[in-house]
Amino acid sequence: MKLYDQIFDVVKQFRKLFSPGPVTNADVSGSITAEIFLIVSLVLSAILLRHVSVLLAGLVTLILAIVLISNIPLIPKFKIEQEDSLEKMLFYAVVTLSIIVVFMYWGGNLV
Amino acid sequence: MNELIPLMVIVPLMAALIISAFSRFNTVTKIFAFVVAICLPIIPLASNYGLHYFGGYAPMLDNVTSVMYHPAITYSFTFLQQIFIAMIGLLTFLVVFIYLTKYKKISGPYLFLLFLGTAAVTAMLLTDDIFHMFVFFEILALAQVGIVAASSIDYSYEMALKYMILGSIGSPIMLLGIGFLLALTGSVNITDIVAAVHNGLVDATSPVFLTSLGLIFFGWLYASGLPPFHTIKSGIYSKAEPHGAALLQSFTVISMISIVLIMYRIYSALPIFEVLVVFFSILAMILGVSLALTQTDFRRMIGFLAVGELGFIGLGIGLGTQYAITAGLFQALNEIIITALLFIGFGAIVNATNEVDTRKLGGLLAYHPKVSLMLLIGGLAMAGVPPLSGFQSKLMLVQASLSCGFPEISILAIMVSIATFVVFVKTFYAMFLRPKPNDLELEGKSVPKSMIFAMGVLLIIIVLLGIFPDVVTSGISNFVGGIL
Amino acid sequence: MAQTQLAILFTSIALVVIGLYSAIFIDNIIKKIIGISFIEEGANLFIVAIGYKAGGVVPILMPGMDTSWFAANAAYPLPFGLVLTSIVIGASTLAVMLALVMVLYKRYGTLSTKVMLADTSKQEEYNE
Repeated sequence: MKLYDQIFDVVKQFRKLFSPGPVTNADVSGSITAEIFLIVSLVLSAILLRHVSVLLAGLVTLILAIVLISNIPLIPKFKIEQEDSLEKMLFYAVVTLSIIVVFMYWGGNLV
Repeated sequence: MNELIPLMVIVPLMAALIISAFSRFNTVTKIFAFVVAICLPIIPLASNYGLHYFGGYAPMLDNVTSVMYHPAITYSFTFLQQIFIAMIGLLTFLVVFIYLTKYKKISGPYLFLLFLGTAAVTAMLLTDDIFHMFVFFEILALAQVGIVAASSIDYSYEMALKYMILGSIGSPIMLLGIGFLLALTGSVNITDIVAAVHNGLVDATSPVFLTSLGLIFFGWLYASGLPPFHTIKSGIYSKAEPHGAALLQSFTVISMISIVLIMYRIYSALPIFEVLVVFFSILAMILGVSLALTQTDFRRMIGFLAVGELGFIGLGIGLGTQYAITAGLFQALNEIIITALLFIGFGAIVNATNEVDTRKLGGLLAYHPKVSLMLLIGGLAMAGVPPLSGFQSKLMLVQASLSCGFPEISILAIMVSIATFVVFVKTFYAMFLRPKPNDLELEGKSVPKSMIFAMGVLLIIIVLLGIFPDVVTSGISNFVGGIL
Repeated sequence: MAQTQLAILFTSIALVVIGLYSAIFIDNIIKKIIGISFIEEGANLFIVAIGYKAGGVVPILMPGMDTSWFAANAAYPLPFGLVLTSIVIGASTLAVMLALVMVLYKRYGTLSTKVMLADTSKQEEYNE
């Protein structure tokens, strides 16, 4: 019952996403599509881990699916993290750079 | 006639300088810019394939180790370069044509930026020298910032400064990676570096070599606007003038493929390279399309879609077989044309309505039937509907990932295509089909004829490439066979 | 003299790290740009350090020099040529950035990144 209520709340929370301004049917259905697309595609790309280890892929896929579905709506959270303020963009750029360099230096030969 | 090879860079570069210097003479400059713009697609089509050594320094054979050294900056011109340079030249011609007909009094500096960007991407495609590529990459970044800052849209200065600050992290990091390669091999010529790696002069498993891949890869992410740079890329597309945005996205695509082909030649022996490219491509596809679904500003939406489509190109390169890379490069060619069509078409709508919010638009089909029809076909091509060109390249990509043993990637690619289709149908409905809102003023505003002409030309190419893809794919496939 | 080269390399890496730190943590846009240009300088310094040769001579072949002695003792000239180009590019980038900052300072009256380079939709609310 709780999950059902949560799914229904999603539509209400989308209203904040489009403020200020009116919310049309097309926008809400687009956002719901984005929500489903995000969950399905992330889970689907987790299956790619089976080329490393089948057990790992199964575990990651299950955990990812449960975490993502129990945290809906994801799109407002995603959009806040990807707004175009310089602070957020610089933060993610520098974090990505450090992850790539650290991973390549110590773990580039593992794959 | 190999003398034409350096002219592909020199002509737009000189034209940029001359136009900027003599922009006081309005009519003469207009005619000159038009003539140069016509020459741009013709030069690569008239030129023969071959190599050009700047300064005439031919390669030297070291008699002790029997290794060839390339002392000169080398330009190599093959079918791939020909088709892409011709396409970018055609696009520059259309954009300059739209610009010249739109304004009575032209701005010299703006035309300077357009030609400078074209010269920079042409040089990036042609060059066989990694530092030369970096120099033109920086020049391209300056031209892009200028094109964004020159637009009259609100907050364009802010977006340009943000792009520049992110760029001044991305470019030096790439320079550092080039420095690592220089330290390892003592050369900046890509053919020499590749020979050193393949002959075992460089230990391919050493951490320094791997770190150089990481650093250059980060610079590539910035150049191509894959995550974490997808927000800024879509931002600069939405803040540039529509015809400028059409050219900006083609600059992005070309710099993406020219850098990734260089990286592929140097690092293809490392399995981690393909993993990295595929990882960031999938991320770009997911984030780009899911964010495009939630946008209300349609310029920003096309920007995010353009970033999402870049993931397909990366996917083709990352899979690493001859068929997959051919598919990726063909997708790059299609994306340049299709996204340019969409930017010009939606720019025409902005021109006619002064409104960018899809919630405040509607009923435009009755007022602008030609534009809406061409936009519809362009959107279908982007989503991959047969028999248009986007369908051919996406089908090739799906087949390539199936034959590589990654059915998940095929499913993901199809899902992204469907989501792209949803984005497009949603926007098309909101802007063209539903009843016109009462407060929308449409009377007396028309779309410039030059924009419709440009869209028509691009549309013809889309349909032709969709029906006869072999014209391009067989040549690209030969080129890919050469670098494998 | 390998310590000299090592010291230069450590300095260049330190410059890059300081630049990345200032990119995230400094709010004043001018200071941020100064910090970020450290990254560029770090990369340049690194490339110069590659061409360093302990006890080497200037890589210009003067009349009367023995060619084989010159080849053994001259510093590697390619990195210096590259860095010269790179410095010019860096200077022009810096100039354009500071010009944009001047325009934005006139518009906003502040140098804080949080105000002038915030999310576009929030700026619209701020202006309304």
